[in-house]
Amino acid sequence: MTSQGLSGIRKLSSLKARTIGLAVLISGVFLILISHLFYLQVIRGMEFKLYATEVARRVIPIPAQRGEIFDRNYDLPLVVNKDSFAVDLIPGEVPKEEIHEIFKKLSKVLRLSVEEIEKRVPPKYYHLYQPIEVKGGIHYETIAYLAEHLEEYKGVSWHNKPIRSYLGTGSLAHVIGYVGDITREEIQVLYNLGYGFGSVLGKSGIEKQYDQLLRGEDGKRYRIVDVREKLLKQKQVKDIPPKPGNILVLTIDRRIQLLCEKALGQRIGSAVVLKPSTGEILALVSYPYFDLNLFFTDKASEKFRELSLDPSFPFINRAIQSVYPPASTFKIVMSTALVEEEVFPITREVFCKGKIEYGDRTFYCWQRKTGHGYMDLYSGLAQSCDVYFYTLGDELGVERISSYAREFGLGRVTGIDLPGEASGFVPTPEWKENIHHMKWLGGDTLNLSIGQGFLTVSPIQMANLVAMAVNNGRVYRPHLLKEVRDSATGELITAVTPELMHTSFIRRDTFKTLQEAMRGVITEGTAKVVITTKAVEIAGKTGTSEVGLEDRWHSWFVAYAPYHTNNPEERVVVAVMIEAENEWEWWAPKAANVIFQGLFAHQSYEEAVETMKPWWYIQQLRNQSETPVQGSESGRLNR
Amino acid sequence: MRRATLFGFDFLLLGASLLLTVIGVLFIYSSGITSTGVQYSTEYIKQIVWAGTGLILMAVVILINYTRLRGLSVYLYGFSILLLIITALFGREVHGARSWLGFREVGIQPSEFAKIITILFLGSYLSGIGRGIRELPRFLLGFGIVLLPMGLILLQPDMGTALVYIPIFLVMTFMAGARLMHIFFIAAAGFLIVVFSTLPAFAKWILVGRINFLGLVTDLDFLKYYILALLLMTLLSAWGTFGFKRRYFYWIHYFSLLLLVSTVGALLAARVLKDYQIMRLIIFLDPRLDPQGAGWNIIQSMTAVGSGGFWGKGFLQGTQSHYRFLPQQSTDFIFSILAEEWGYVGGVLIFFLFLVIMIRGMRIAYTARDDYALYIGSGIVGMIFFHVVVNIGMAMGIMPITGIPLFFLSYGGSSLWTALIGIGLLLNIYMRRYRH
Repeated sequence: MTSQGLSGIRKLSSLKARTIGLAVLISGVFLILISHLFYLQVIRGMEFKLYATEVARRVIPIPAQRGEIFDRNYDLPLVVNKDSFAVDLIPGEVPKEEIHEIFKKLSKVLRLSVEEIEKRVPPKYYHLYQPIEVKGGIHYETIAYLAEHLEEYKGVSWHNKPIRSYLGTGSLAHVIGYVGDITREEIQVLYNLGYGFGSVLGKSGIEKQYDQLLRGEDGKRYRIVDVREKLLKQKQVKDIPPKPGNILVLTIDRRIQLLCEKALGQRIGSAVVLKPSTGEILALVSYPYFDLNLFFTDKASEKFRELSLDPSFPFINRAIQSVYPPASTFKIVMSTALVEEEVFPITREVFCKGKIEYGDRTFYCWQRKTGHGYMDLYSGLAQSCDVYFYTLGDELGVERISSYAREFGLGRVTGIDLPGEASGFVPTPEWKENIHHMKWLGGDTLNLSIGQGFLTVSPIQMANLVAMAVNNGRVYRPHLLKEVRDSATGELITAVTPELMHTSFIRRDTFKTLQEAMRGVITEGTAKVVITTKAVEIAGKTGTSEVGLEDRWHSWFVAYAPYHTNNPEERVVVAVMIEAENEWEWWAPKAANVIFQGLFAHQSYEEAVETMKPWWYIQQLRNQSETPVQGSESGRLNR
Repeated sequence: MRRATLFGFDFLLLGASLLLTVIGVLFIYSSGITSTGVQYSTEYIKQIVWAGTGLILMAVVILINYTRLRGLSVYLYGFSILLLIITALFGREVHGARSWLGFREVGIQPSEFAKIITILFLGSYLSGIGRGIRELPRFLLGFGIVLLPMGLILLQPDMGTALVYIPIFLVMTFMAGARLMHIFFIAAAGFLIVVFSTLPAFAKWILVGRINFLGLVTDLDFLKYYILALLLMTLLSAWGTFGFKRRYFYWIHYFSLLLLVSTVGALLAARVLKDYQIMRLIIFLDPRLDPQGAGWNIIQSMTAVGSGGFWGKGFLQGTQSHYRFLPQQSTDFIFSILAEEWGYVGGVLIFFLFLVIMIRGMRIAYTARDDYALYIGSGIVGMIFFHVVVNIGMAMGIMPITGIPLFFLSYGGSSLWTALIGIGLLLNIYMRRYRH
């Protein structure tokens, strides 16, 4: 070889310099890279290690057992949890071309449409290794079938998901309420309280009101997952076990509840039994009610829709959510106002000729043909004479009537521990002018005096009103929760103490007079023929309100017993309200009669009825089996 | 000792290359295994096959006297240009770039081999012109040799691979004694083209209106006047430089021409590159902008590297990789899985082995018998260097995502063969370093 190949740079002394330059450049860049690697791995190493564990760690909640619910006797539970299963699908384990085959098969086994399944497992989840719940409330037999045919059901698995089971709760449906899966909207509100997707949430009644106490605290299971959410077997962080929810003991007495339920029978309406000395509710019935267990059957959504569209609105708890004109029961408030305000002496006799002329209008007494004759407060309340109360109302004036109505707790919620209580309404002249743009007339005052017109109240408010009269002005918050107990040991955690809501300015003597007058209603007044029980002395007030429709009356009876007692603790208030459609359904006092008999003679409905054997009972039996008999003696005219 | 000897082998260079290849196979194995120990990929077996055949190729390359390649290189160059044209037209599209040529399972990336061939041809050109490289026209002609394959690769479009040609050219001409002024011009223009072509996306996504005057170089309406002004300035200063022979005008001319070339080049590049490719180039500046998309790779790679710590999590014990958070573990991000499992120690080992290859390569080039050997040796060193820096920089989150493989380690036959052929050439030069 010649030196021909060495013609270029070789001859220049700069070659060495350039080679060294290049070597320095390369080494320098490498040094920078090695330094940065040191920075990433050693200086920031811990930070990245933490992040690496975090991205791969998943916290899977272990659902807590929901608390059981008992009645005040705390012997047999009303609500328990029943073993049930939810079927999951891990889409990542199903080959893509088979996934629709699996959907079809699952649809048959789970009795769920393919569309429903596709909605729960959309295509964007197909690559995931995360179990997706397809359907809950699956019976053991179905799971057994799936287990036997597992090789045909790729990616299908299941987990234990207990459901609520309601044991003979009957008319307690409204009180207890139901649970359901949390909705998107509910999560937005409740997220900070520890709820998440898949949480079960109380939707109504006690289940909703005390959800925080019942739900317990979900446990946590730590798992390591890969990028497609597939669970990996790894040495695990210890699971945090779930804390089961608390046992709730209600103030409800199952026996009394059943008594009221049967006394009410198949009449649309409600009954409330409460202890005025504490505010404890012993029974709360609203008819029609519904079967809570329906929500855990295959046809849950169908049934739910059906019940929602039922014209008798079975989901409404009529005892607290429906308001009606109080009719003659409002005369209790009127009487109190009279005595307290001393508008005129209670002995003053007002003459009732069956009607009263007021301006250009005529207001009739219910006894419009003959009239009641001369009436004082006692006879006026006992006979429920409208003319007497028209006169009283005219003298009292609307302002005082409204303020006494408010003093008795009308127009605002009682604060019962159930969601969705209605407040009713107490009208005032300002209200009428603002809303109806009409002047409040004297006739409006007369209507208000007999509990008609714009005034509306709920049965629980009426029960509370009587409780105030019985307690000489002291009102306790009506409540359903008696105790909170630990679900593992049964140990008492909290006992609910009576909460005094209001102490009235009304004098003791006034209440005494009122109580005497209410006793007169039973002994010689409108309820004399109906209240036949010998078990206890009752005081109360009847009421029949016109709804405006010819064939609609609302039948009220509010009462308490015993009238004489040395132990106010044993007193109970009963309020019955029936949306009557015909005269023989004028049933409220009769139902109360049976309730008081059963309550104080410690009898069941059947025994109570058997004991009293009243003439109307036989007639009632005839009415139920045959055609309704019109115009019984205790008919509509009886207020 | 003025004898050619087949036994005058550079065992250090060969050893470092073989060790890297073996480590590559190990981590390709690791990347194909799940945390539960299920082997779902057989890439490592394929890589062993590639390595075996690659070694045979290397042996063949060693046996051919490199001086004979000098004459052949022009034909090889022509052939590889033809292949690149065919690829750009009919190639198989993988990850958005039409860079594969082949049938079914078997395929090659002509752009990989074209690098070696371009080195051979450019080396032959440079050794032919000798000192002439200091003259601008010859320098530009040399640049044309790399610009042709580069442009064809840019059409695929594969900006990463195309960019490799620039450092190859720069290192080779640098060693050939080209004017630093010229070299700097090409380097600066290459850098500015990348910057300018990503500038609109950079302004839109990362700066988000923080600097207003960026509109000067991103707004198309304005660009017309900008380019016109640059052109005017370039021509005027050229007149000044050559008409009046004033040094003063020379520098104005130099920099206005640089800006003009870069701006026009960026405009052309922006035409060719798709939005997501530009995004990949700049996302490393702030990967959290798109953590589920373009930024995902960088975040996961940095997490894998960083969580490896000093000693690493142990072979097959990586979590980022085995939980499949780390994408393209066997190709682009092979260094990440290595750094996670072998830690800083492993990372430094890799740098050390590459440094051995670089230094030995430069020594071989320096002691070579003739200029041709010097140039191709330097070209190979430059090529390997650029790959290492860009790939590992990407794995550490300080370089754009360009999809350039890490020689010896990354899975892939074309890249491994290219590396082994390159080493074969270096060994070839070393064995024939003595003049007779």
